[in-house]
Amino acid sequence: MTRYDADALACIRLSCETSLKKRCALYDSVERPSQLYDDYAQAEQIVQRLREMDAVAICRGDGAYPDALYASDCPPVALYCRGDISLLRDRRYKLAVVGTRRPTRYGKDVTTAFVRELTRAGVAIVSGMARGVDAYAHRACLEESGKTIAVVATGVDLVYPSENLELAQRIIREGLLVSEYPPGTPPMAFRFPERNRIVSALSDATMIPEAGERSGSMITANLTIEQGKELFVIPGSVLSPQSAGCNRKLKELQGSLTTSPDDILHAAGMDRRKAQTAARQITIEQQAVLDALQEGEMHFSQILDRVQSSVAELSALLTQMEIYGLICKLSGNCYACAPQL
Amino acid sequence: MLAKTRSYALNGVDGYAVGVEVDLNAGLPSYDTVGLADTSVKESRERVRSAIKNSLLRYPLHKIVINLAPADSKKEGSHFDLAIAVAILAASEQLEGRAYQDYVFLGELSLDGSLHHVNGIMPLLIAAMQSGYTKFVVPSANAAEAAYVAGTQVYALDNLRQVYELLSDGETHAPLETKTFVAGRTEDKYHVDFAEVKGQYLAKRALEIAVAGGHNVLMIGPPGAGKTMMAKCVPTIMPDMTFEEAIEVTKIHSIAGVLDPTVGIVASRPFRTPHHTVTIPALMGGGTKAKPGEVSLAHNGVLFLDEMPEYQRRTLETMRQPLEDGAVTVSRAKQTLEYPAKFMLVASMNPCPCGNLGSSTQQCKCSAAEIHRYLAKLSGPLLDRIDLQIEVDGVAYEDLRSAERAESSASIRERVNRAREIQRQRYRGTGVYTNAAMTNAQVQRYCALDDACEEILRGAFRKLNLTARASTRILKVARTIADLENRESIGISHITEAIQYRSLDRKYWE
Repeated sequence: MTRYDADALACIRLSCETSLKKRCALYDSVERPSQLYDDYAQAEQIVQRLREMDAVAICRGDGAYPDALYASDCPPVALYCRGDISLLRDRRYKLAVVGTRRPTRYGKDVTTAFVRELTRAGVAIVSGMARGVDAYAHRACLEESGKTIAVVATGVDLVYPSENLELAQRIIREGLLVSEYPPGTPPMAFRFPERNRIVSALSDATMIPEAGERSGSMITANLTIEQGKELFVIPGSVLSPQSAGCNRKLKELQGSLTTSPDDILHAAGMDRRKAQTAARQITIEQQAVLDALQEGEMHFSQILDRVQSSVAELSALLTQMEIYGLICKLSGNCYACAPQL
Repeated sequence: MLAKTRSYALNGVDGYAVGVEVDLNAGLPSYDTVGLADTSVKESRERVRSAIKNSLLRYPLHKIVINLAPADSKKEGSHFDLAIAVAILAASEQLEGRAYQDYVFLGELSLDGSLHHVNGIMPLLIAAMQSGYTKFVVPSANAAEAAYVAGTQVYALDNLRQVYELLSDGETHAPLETKTFVAGRTEDKYHVDFAEVKGQYLAKRALEIAVAGGHNVLMIGPPGAGKTMMAKCVPTIMPDMTFEEAIEVTKIHSIAGVLDPTVGIVASRPFRTPHHTVTIPALMGGGTKAKPGEVSLAHNGVLFLDEMPEYQRRTLETMRQPLEDGAVTVSRAKQTLEYPAKFMLVASMNPCPCGNLGSSTQQCKCSAAEIHRYLAKLSGPLLDRIDLQIEVDGVAYEDLRSAERAESSASIRERVNRAREIQRQRYRGTGVYTNAAMTNAQVQRYCALDDACEEILRGAFRKLNLTARASTRILKVARTIADLENRESIGISHITEAIQYRSLDRKYWE
């Protein structure tokens, strides 16, 4: 069981202060945090809560505290962690993946495809477990049995948005969930930008698959640049408002243009690893479908017109191809070739 | 002077004999009914007196006591009128002989002595016949319905005077001739046919599978995609009703009073569409005067719930029992009734409250929380009972305009009939008739997979985010697909096609 000394308890107590500026100022105003408070009752209570849910607090000054955070502006005084805390000081390349909460299908495809490829090569994925791109990034990483860190803007005992409950449990089991806020902290708008600084600080680089003009991901992008880290931005359609942020960033920083996972792996000094799925013989029927889909996404009835097949046969064939990862099913009974990178 | 006649009363879809005893006593003229008669029976006094008087018969000026036996069960309905009137006539010695004792009397009297239509004639006759009664007097308005009960002598008469004539001199009226049953089809009623549904190949195929295996179906799609149209077509591809099935359905419809009196039998499979404001008693049956609800009226047919998430959640949850047992139990303080409710559930819903989620042309305006709330209306246990979920998409303009006629309901029905026959053979003697109703042990036995199929299924679970509950459903549907192709064992194509129909499990709208 983790024991907390007076300094750690003081840090835990300090983390309850609402204002980030105040936390930093107070921490810097004394030589040792333990000089700040006389009464640790509140901190003890939090420690008790942490024990109940098998979480730990890693305080500034701890051996387990990630060095990367010291370099950032206003390092968190305490990090509440659930899951595998060794990931914090792990030497593996960490990539922050952040983006819009309402991704288009393109955003979802790009996020999933990039993260899968990068995870296979051994990159760890850091994100904020928000709806949209964040959640897809975590999921894709976990599906490839990769390592992922979720930095959340609530207490580690809460899940926001609640639809990510299952995802959060899986991250706690197989990855790491962290927050600088004590347990019980509810989601508040001002905490999300604060959280972004930890996402970028923990990572070696940041990737933005899709982000709108006023997306919070732009904050993360700027922080990444300020921290002197590499930024990877994936271009989107000029017509799509969900890609407007990405495209504007690309105009400012042309070097951040990213079109393949190789761009990121190259910067990380890593190599792509072949997918482990056995190469499958593509049958004539499958090839016919793939040929038809070369023209873009297609409705079931359109595919049916192109290939010589009954409804039942084609329906079975398409599902089979989907399971093999050759095509993907879109809503409205439409199909498209699986994204290849 | 005492006389006794016989009538029948209903308890659920079964009936029991009610003896009507009339005794005339000396005293001030009065009319008392005993034997737990409800208001409609007690009010018979005025009807009976006027009817007797206006039939040119004599209403006795005595203290009249009427007892309905057995005295401890509650009697409802106006159909005891006739039995009471005949008993009064017999007690006042206006009838010659004891011919009236051979009959069961069912009918409501009007003040002028004519006989009115009553509900529940078919189940009453069948119950009485099974207890050994063969001669009946019913209102002529119920003639069409009564004519289907074979092995009986049913006299369908217009008024009390005719009844009097029949009982005095049996030669004056002839019994009804028994009608033979001819199965009808729902398309005759709705004028729909799958041939008119353009495009929608996947949905049509899924409905064919659903009907072939008796699976419940949920259609998901934007407004105007043709979900209701296709649902109406479902009865047209169901196998013809057998006489036994038709009788079961007619009994229920007769009790509920929704039977067409001129036709007298429900010859085509029912298609019921309760509105989403339906109350629990209206859906399940019950009420102060217990009546079958929509689920029972859909017995042997289709229950169509349009816009399923708009129904009250509590209402939807009550459907779990009939979906599982094929019957509804209505429990009241004094009695427990059971109505059969073996129906195929066809439901439809939009993918989100605004209906445009996933559409390629329209923008969805719903928030994630709204969508979540909308989908959460359907509980897991309820979804568990729906084997197929079909995504129905908007029809393209070219498809609508195309002159090409799709396959007709009749030819689809042929395939369905063949698949049903295979299932009947397979499950003979087990009380199970369709793949959808398979028990777990039967799933293990009849849905065994070879290694290649197992691998595909495992791959599907990993790749397509299927939930665990999908597995049995997929196996059952795969079994039906194999039956449609007349295959002994389930192959890869059957499994993969079945996986297609689990779109909700695939967390499609994540």
